Amino acid sequence: MKRIRYAKVLAAAALVLAGLAFILCKSRGPVRYEGQFYDCFDTVTTVTGYAESQEDFSRKVGLLKEKLTWYHRLFDIYHSYDGIHNLKTVNDAAGKEAVEVDAQIMDLLLFAKEMYGKTEGKLNVAYGSVLSLWHQYREEGQKDPAHAKLPPKAELEARAAHTRIEDVVLNEKASTVYLADAQMSLDVGSVGKGYAVQKLAEYAREIGLEHALVSVGGNVCAIGGKADGTPWKVGVENPRPDSGGTYITAVDLASGSIVTSGDYQRYYEVGDARYCHIIDPGTHMPPDYFASVSVQAEDSGIADALSTSLFNMGFEEGLSLVEGMEHVEAMWIGKEGETRYSSGFKVNEEK
Amino acid sequence: MKKNDVILAAALIGIALAAFGGAALYSQLTTKEPEAVVRLDGEEKGRYPLSEDTTVEIRQEDGSYNILRVESGKARILKASCPDKVCVSHRPISRQGESLICLPNRLAVEIENGAESGIDASVLSR
Repeated sequence: MKRIRYAKVLAAAALVLAGLAFILCKSRGPVRYEGQFYDCFDTVTTVTGYAESQEDFSRKVGLLKEKLTWYHRLFDIYHSYDGIHNLKTVNDAAGKEAVEVDAQIMDLLLFAKEMYGKTEGKLNVAYGSVLSLWHQYREEGQKDPAHAKLPPKAELEARAAHTRIEDVVLNEKASTVYLADAQMSLDVGSVGKGYAVQKLAEYAREIGLEHALVSVGGNVCAIGGKADGTPWKVGVENPRPDSGGTYITAVDLASGSIVTSGDYQRYYEVGDARYCHIIDPGTHMPPDYFASVSVQAEDSGIADALSTSLFNMGFEEGLSLVEGMEHVEAMWIGKEGETRYSSGFKVNEEK
Repeated sequence: MKKNDVILAAALIGIALAAFGGAALYSQLTTKEPEAVVRLDGEEKGRYPLSEDTTVEIRQEDGSYNILRVESGKARILKASCPDKVCVSHRPISRQGESLICLPNRLAVEIENGAESGIDASVLSR
């Protein structure tokens, strides 16, 4: 009899212990991981998310890298790749022939043309001939800062004659792109990354990442909130790191994207002046309105396209553009650090 | 219940409590101090506690390099071979999740076990 009772007590105790162990394990929740990769869109991609194990997470990050690499290659204007027609193929055939392209390129260019209309030309993917000249002077200037120069005004003007969006001829049925001006070229730097990040977010869900935060070079996109249901907190960087804190402010992101365009990080110096990589199609020069503009939108492609556009226009003009669009908010940081927001911009806290 | 049963139950509960106490203590003891983690192309190359001032040269086979300085609980890049020097101009980092990135050299220095900044990612123009 005594033995049986002992057995019962032992069994009960074992159950209690097992229960406690279960609660302890459960309270830890899914484990949060972070992964990183390079080579896509000339920047670093960071993925934060949850998985059963490091192996599982690494495998998923590997799949994301594959996907993003595919978009990077499609939108690349500097390199050719075996077996694919990318934007370099299209540029190389300018004035000669129409090029059959992947549906994603067609989709991107249709979207870019739509954004050209909405931003009254501040977002122009047909601006490649001017951008490539700046690119060349910037690279030379960074290599040899003592002899850094600005592109000659006359050459900028001459090239600007070959940037008409109407000369980007899209044939959806045949899935072809034809550049009608032999001296023009496409450069989707202002929209391609955001477009790709949006597609990447959709793919992330497909492979089972339901709670993740993806940052492709500071172009941040949330796939659901955190595992506990709270939103991710994204800091808007201080564009003037020498003064003030790391972040100007923070926003909550449970879905959608936030993208910043700024005059810091990518620029070169000529004499004492700084020239950033964003060029205003109105003046063919880097704009001088703000230190940075951040745009929050459901779609990462829209956020990317708009942040570049807003950086290229004055506050009033930009504000009316933003207020006229649904689910789009913006934050402007001026050259002296002053901040302005669109009416629906929700700040998590002042940092 | 007999006296022995009570003793046994008490002993089991005691063991359980001790185990949990031990586990809690263990996790407290093993909580690591803040450190700067250096990764090249995503691969970890070294960890440097923020509490110890040090200078580390991270040199790669092609001759490119970044010099990391840990001082007064903060990490920064003192010097680098990259053309843009974005990493050098970045402010020192000390909080959880902050990073120094050198794109040309594929170098990332990130803070682990640092004080929580509460920020999961930062939106910036890179």
